[in-house]
Amino acid sequence: MKPIAARKRLILTPYAFLAPALLVTAAVILFPVVQTAWMSLFDYVLFRPRSIPFVGAGNFVRAFGDPVFWLSLWNSAIWIGAVVALQFALGLATALLLNQSFWWRGVARALVVVPWALPSVIIGLMWTWMYDFNLGVINDVLLRIGLIGEPIAWLARSDTTLPAVILALVWQGFPFFAVVILAGLQTVPAELLEAAEIDGATPFQRLRTVTLPCIMDVIATALLLRTIWVANSLDVILVMTGGGPGYATHTLPLYAFLKAYSSMEFGYGAALALILTALLLFVVFAYVRRAAGDLDK
Amino acid sequence: MERRTFIKLAGATALATSLARPAVAQQTTVRWWYHFDKPENTPDELIAAFEAANPDIKIEAESIPWGGGGDYYTRLFAAIVAGGAPDCAMVKLNNQAQLIEMGALEPIDAMVAGWDGRTDISDDIWNVNKSADGKQYYLPLQYVVLYLYYRPDLFEAAGVAPPTNFEEFLAAAKALTQGDVYGFGMRGGPGGHDNWGPFVLGGGASFEKGGMVSDAALAANRWYVGLGTEHKVIPPSAPTDGFRQIVDNFKSGRTAMAIHHVGSSNEMVEALGDKVSAVPVPRGPDGKGWTLFGDESNAVFSSSANKEAAFRWISFLSTGKNNVAFNRLTGQLPVVTSGAAEWTLHQARFVEASAASLPMAAVPPDSPLTADFVRTVWPTNMQQALLGQITPDAMMQAIEAHFHG
Repeated sequence: MKPIAARKRLILTPYAFLAPALLVTAAVILFPVVQTAWMSLFDYVLFRPRSIPFVGAGNFVRAFGDPVFWLSLWNSAIWIGAVVALQFALGLATALLLNQSFWWRGVARALVVVPWALPSVIIGLMWTWMYDFNLGVINDVLLRIGLIGEPIAWLARSDTTLPAVILALVWQGFPFFAVVILAGLQTVPAELLEAAEIDGATPFQRLRTVTLPCIMDVIATALLLRTIWVANSLDVILVMTGGGPGYATHTLPLYAFLKAYSSMEFGYGAALALILTALLLFVVFAYVRRAAGDLDK
Repeated sequence: MERRTFIKLAGATALATSLARPAVAQQTTVRWWYHFDKPENTPDELIAAFEAANPDIKIEAESIPWGGGGDYYTRLFAAIVAGGAPDCAMVKLNNQAQLIEMGALEPIDAMVAGWDGRTDISDDIWNVNKSADGKQYYLPLQYVVLYLYYRPDLFEAAGVAPPTNFEEFLAAAKALTQGDVYGFGMRGGPGGHDNWGPFVLGGGASFEKGGMVSDAALAANRWYVGLGTEHKVIPPSAPTDGFRQIVDNFKSGRTAMAIHHVGSSNEMVEALGDKVSAVPVPRGPDGKGWTLFGDESNAVFSSSANKEAAFRWISFLSTGKNNVAFNRLTGQLPVVTSGAAEWTLHQARFVEASAASLPMAAVPPDSPLTADFVRTVWPTNMQQALLGQITPDAMMQAIEAHFHG
């Protein structure tokens, strides 16, 4: 009898240790997710609490026939592609610069993190005023150096607004890449670089054939993580344009947010959020596989 | 002491303590939600005065972030649905229909009938605050009326007078648009329906079925959008300009006219001194006009267990000197007639322009769809029309579809 009881205890013990964490995860993640999925099946309008009809897949059908949904999805694709690519390019360049030795390198490494450390709302307001038509510093500088003849209403034109907001977010997010890649650069073996140099490799060849392959793992993980964060982020857009002018800066999470908190249509908002989640699952899956692979190593 | 005696004594003491307590326990607590534009202002003095006069009531005032209205109402609605609503709160007419549909509001007709202060509030204000079902849910607290700010010096230099109708308005806007100055600082971002209303609702559109797509309505909207697309008398930034931008543009001399209310007048005077004044918004071709009545009331919620005490508190705030003191905190105008004479917070010319605008002051329709019209439907369609992405007529059709399907 005893060995069996002991074995049982042994089997259950890990789960007992895991239980508190699992309970908390279930309460703060699993429950809201299930609730959102459930809510998406109803025409749940917050100011009609007495009439919440079940509509099944109705909210999803409505989304696929909604031109604003498709526009938001398209804007999201541009948003994610442009922001992540530019942040990565700028982050890589910054990391390579900060990896050189110069006397104020410590200060430079600390300063570069500042945009990343600022709250998004502050960044949104700051850039809104920098872009301002009458008082903004960007128009002022461009006018003074003669690049433009008259001020441009950056955040009020359908062709400039999305790029303007993208630029603000690139500025906010590139330090993340810079810091992560800089950490990766420390792991590149100096003897490999030295050997390449002795073999006559140019700096660009050393970067392409030695440095980048060595930090590919770090870059891939950073890219995946950042894609998920950028896809979800709506705070800077909300502060800078509220999705306007018209639908020019509507992205999918922003549209879901506005449907829920401006129109009070929680059912439709939940459905939109679920569609975004489903799309993001591919990226999340790739990230989790990488993370699991790292653990196995 | 015997054990039994001790127990008896202890029991008696316990009983006596609980008997002595009710005098204190009877004090009811009234939870009240409010929002002030200046968070550093607090209603503490008013609360202290009220509690001194009503020792049986304790006021628990909670300052709720306004967030353009969105934050405040999302919290309020969520609190009501979750069963945690306050006893009473500051509310606006925009959301009255939604709150009624939720069954969240308590009619206060009977309590108002027994309240001495009701005659100190003008009939105009009582009427505009009545709900569609004929009952009174809102107790008026403060108001503003939108009027037209103008620059007397620029008008004089251009040789034009403050406009009284649409033609004069357009002529003035054209004459004033010179160099980097624009005639009219149109608000195209959220909240800009209060700039659009005087010209389109005042020009013949209405919220009745078919009212947005009538010939007069479509023509009025084409004219209004044309201020930007055709006549170019508004700044290029107008499609997304909000409150801060239109006020700053006017203060910095980039625009010669702007539509807002008395709440910004002190800031305007500080920047421009005598070079700013106000008149009612211009009237439409038929002589009728429309301007937005910016309201704020208090309401008692049906879920409250202390409705009578809550009404005592909100009626205290709408009474004579208390109402004047309250509006000093919010920067709007008192609803009490007795307070108007001694009102010194704003310069007289702006208070007069507000009063002169009252006869044409109205509110958007008392419908659950109004809030979304104001926050989303109007701005997205207006911005697209100003940018030429849709026609002005398509904008009006979208508004018609929002209200009438």
